[in-house]
Amino acid sequence: MIGHYIALIRRELWEHRSIFVTPIAIASIVTLGTLTALVFVGDFQRELNLAIFGAQNVAGETERKAVLTGLFLGSSWLFLLGLGVLTVFYALDSLYAERKDKSILFWRSLPVTDAETVISKLLTALVVIPAVAMIGIMATHLVNLVVTSIWVSSKGGDAGMLIWGSVSFLDNWLAMIIVLFAISIWMSPFVGWFLFVSAWTKRSPLLMAFLPLVLIPMIEGIFLRSAHFAEAVWGRAAMIPIFAGIDMERFFDDDNPMQSAAQMPEDMVNLLSHLAPGKFFASIDVWIGLVVCGLLTTAAIYVRRYRDES
Amino acid sequence: MTSLVTARNVSKHFGSVRAVDNVSFEIEKGRILGLIGPNGAGKTTLLKAMLGLTDCDGDLSVIGLDPFRQRKQLMREICFIADVAVLPRWIKVSQLLDYVEAVHPNFSRSRAEELLRQTKVQSGAKVKELSKGMVTQLHLAIIMSIDAKLLVLDEPTLGLDILFRKEFYANLLTDYFDEERTILITTHQVEEIENLLTDIMFINDGKILLDSTMEALGERYVELMTSGENAQKARGLGPVSESEMFGKSVMLFEGVSREHLEGLGELHIPSVADLFVAKIKEARK
Repeated sequence: MIGHYIALIRRELWEHRSIFVTPIAIASIVTLGTLTALVFVGDFQRELNLAIFGAQNVAGETERKAVLTGLFLGSSWLFLLGLGVLTVFYALDSLYAERKDKSILFWRSLPVTDAETVISKLLTALVVIPAVAMIGIMATHLVNLVVTSIWVSSKGGDAGMLIWGSVSFLDNWLAMIIVLFAISIWMSPFVGWFLFVSAWTKRSPLLMAFLPLVLIPMIEGIFLRSAHFAEAVWGRAAMIPIFAGIDMERFFDDDNPMQSAAQMPEDMVNLLSHLAPGKFFASIDVWIGLVVCGLLTTAAIYVRRYRDES
Repeated sequence: MTSLVTARNVSKHFGSVRAVDNVSFEIEKGRILGLIGPNGAGKTTLLKAMLGLTDCDGDLSVIGLDPFRQRKQLMREICFIADVAVLPRWIKVSQLLDYVEAVHPNFSRSRAEELLRQTKVQSGAKVKELSKGMVTQLHLAIIMSIDAKLLVLDEPTLGLDILFRKEFYANLLTDYFDEERTILITTHQVEEIENLLTDIMFINDGKILLDSTMEALGERYVELMTSGENAQKARGLGPVSESEMFGKSVMLFEGVSREHLEGLGELHIPSVADLFVAKIKEARK
């Protein structure tokens, strides 16, 4: 059984090379951005940059951590964006392309069930794509730290202490893994919907997937004068219950300005402290999402199994 | 008896259209059956039902399994080419072999590679880089490397040149076929396969017009080439069909013994193609 899934997922990676190409492209863009920033900003504002990286030791360790964590988040958000777009296009294509090029008849001539095939595509979208994105995030992080270290050293700073000694790899990476998979689980009903549309539609899966998501809120608004569907669908991304409440007061407290090195609270720069996996899994909305994903995936399996392709 | 496929009152409707209309038949182990019918006769639908690609009414059993409900188990034991050029265009030849090897317990990779060495198909090439003929060679190499109880070939050589077609059928007989295997072929080029068939089935408008072994066919049908007075006499014996060729009448008789016809003209065993045309004409009357 496991062997089948490995073969099926490997097949997905062969077909959809964008799963690899997208993270590589984003990593290149981010690294290029870092290089550009260091070269240009470094030339004009040498003093400022050295101060930020603590080369002149004006900032404390917590501040260095805060800056380096900020840079990590800054270089990672593009991956999250790319991951989202990639997953939408992947899921919409996954059961549509095989019907369009008629290769479905070949795939179905092998001893693999429709359930195995569709579930392998669901796993690719929910597990493999985020995992590949995570590898891209980690690689980009390391490359950017190396580039920054070279820069700091060239300015006479101690890169070993200032950069490598101040990065919380475990905290940064673990937090990112949690966020990636929380997003994956949270957005899974959409993946289920895209798989279903991909299996069902005769043409333009992108249009067929998004048209109902636009029309239903309009119809609901006109006839029921409510917006439950729009809130549940379009508002879902903003409602993800993975983040712990952020105490904004502490950031903007005039008496305790962030700039003051001595008083920067340690936990503020710890990414994990801002996440609440317990709250996430206790949220009924997470489980409703998974059930909806399961139902839509089952529908996709049935469509693939029962539809006559002749 | 060792029936591999058993169909009893099998029907398949698409709305009011009866693609397969209450057919019953059996296919025994170790036979090569040709399924012949015009386009839209229900051939493909019947094949799809046997391959578990579509549901149907009635009782249909293939190697003791319900094809639609036990498709996965069935696909371990049978293999098919539903149409040519359905291999995904993006895949590499080596990836295709990797995949089939991983999911098919009865696939022999070394045999597939051996078959491919006899062709121009390179293992690093993508399917979209291959010519139509090479894609079919690749597909057939995969299918022929699966140790299957039933091989279903639906127009397997469509779009291929005559050299390749001859070679393919020769290989099928010498390298692949044995008493443990059963082959079901549909094709429009009947004349190319009639010598290798052991059984034949005609289908039209969802119904079976003829289901016979090739041996029985030669005993049951006879073709008479005659002219003049003899032709008049022969017409009295009720030919199934009559056509003109080189100024002579060619008549097809069913169930009329050779003794009755001898002396009236030249007797031949009718070709499957002629028999098919006659049967279709008869059915449409």
